Amino acid sequence: MESEQTLLNDEEKDILQEIMNIAFGQAAADLAEMINVFVVLNVPYIKVLKAVDLPHYLKTEIAGYDTICMVEQHFWGEFKGSAFLIFPAGSGKELVTIMGEGQDPQFESAIVDGMEKETLMEVGNILIGACVGKVAELLDDRVTYSPPRIVVENHASNAIPANIFDLHSSAIVLRTVFTFNERAVSGFLFLVTKCESIVWLRQALAVFMERYE
Amino acid sequence: MSKKILIVDDSPISRKMLKSCFPKENDYEFHEAGDGLAGLELFKEIGPDITFMDLTMPVMDGATALAEIKKVDPRATVIVATADVQIKSVSRVMDLGALMVLKKPPSKESVRDALAQAEGRVE
Repeated sequence: MESEQTLLNDEEKDILQEIMNIAFGQAAADLAEMINVFVVLNVPYIKVLKAVDLPHYLKTEIAGYDTICMVEQHFWGEFKGSAFLIFPAGSGKELVTIMGEGQDPQFESAIVDGMEKETLMEVGNILIGACVGKVAELLDDRVTYSPPRIVVENHASNAIPANIFDLHSSAIVLRTVFTFNERAVSGFLFLVTKCESIVWLRQALAVFMERYE
Repeated sequence: MSKKILIVDDSPISRKMLKSCFPKENDYEFHEAGDGLAGLELFKEIGPDITFMDLTMPVMDGATALAEIKKVDPRATVIVATADVQIKSVSRVMDLGALMVLKKPPSKESVRDALAQAEGRVE
C-alpha cells in the first residue's frame, strides 16, 4: 500500500507543470522546424491519480472522439512510463495535407492512406521524443524509448490498454492539448509515469529548483 | 532608485524561477500577475519599467496582453519570457512590439543579458 508521501505535493506539481511547459515548447519548436507546421500550445495540466483509475480517466478525456488514431511509446530511465499522443480519427490524413502545403497540391487518395501512418509516426516521434527528452534533460536523467506503436482508426474504448500499470501504484498524467496551423487538428499528449518514478521525481524536482533558490 | 519589474506568468514556480535569476546586487521592486488580463490591469496601475510576459496563459494570452499594453503605452518595455520558441511565435511577438524573447528556463546569464538590453533602452 503506497504512502501519501509518494505522491506529489502542490508545489512539486507546479514545478513539473512548468518543466512540462518548457518541454512541450521545445517539442513544438522542433516540429515547426522539421516539418513546417505551427503548433498552438495550451496550458499543460497535471493530475496524479491511482493507476486503477487511469484507463477510465483517459477514456473520459477523449470521450469526444468516436474513433482515434494514437501513437504509443514507452520510455525508460529514472523517469519511466508511457506516452500517448491521441488524435481524432482522420487527423493523420489532415496532417498529411498540412505538411503538403506549399509542395505538391494534390495527393492521390491511395498515397495519402499510405502516408498517414508515416506522418503520425513522424509527428509522434518528434513530439514525444522532444517532450520526454527535455523533461529528462532538465531533471538530469537519460531515457531510452521503445519503438512507437501506431493505432489508426480505433474506437477510443479499445485503444488504451487497461493493464498498463500495477493496479496498486499511482500515475502522473501530464496532459496538453495542441492545435496545428490553427486548423481543426488538435489532440492530446499524455505522459503517464509509474509510481516507482515518483520517489526519484520528487528528489529530481527539488534538485532542479535548488538552481533557483 | 529601484526599478519596477512586472512579471506576468500563470505559473508561480515560473515567476519564482525568473525572480531568482535577477542580479542580487541591484535593487528591483517586483510585481506579479497570473494571467494576461491581470497583467494588463497591473501594468496600468503601476507603470513598470520592464514587463516580463509569458505567452501561454489562461484568461488572456501573453500576445494579446502585449498588444494591449502597447496600446496603453507604445514605449513600454516588454520582454516575452516563454517556452514557445517557434520562429512564428517569436516573429509575431516581435511584430507586436516585444523588445526580445527570453527562452525558458531562464538563467542568471540570460536574465542579465535581457536586463542589459532593456535597461539600455529604459534609461
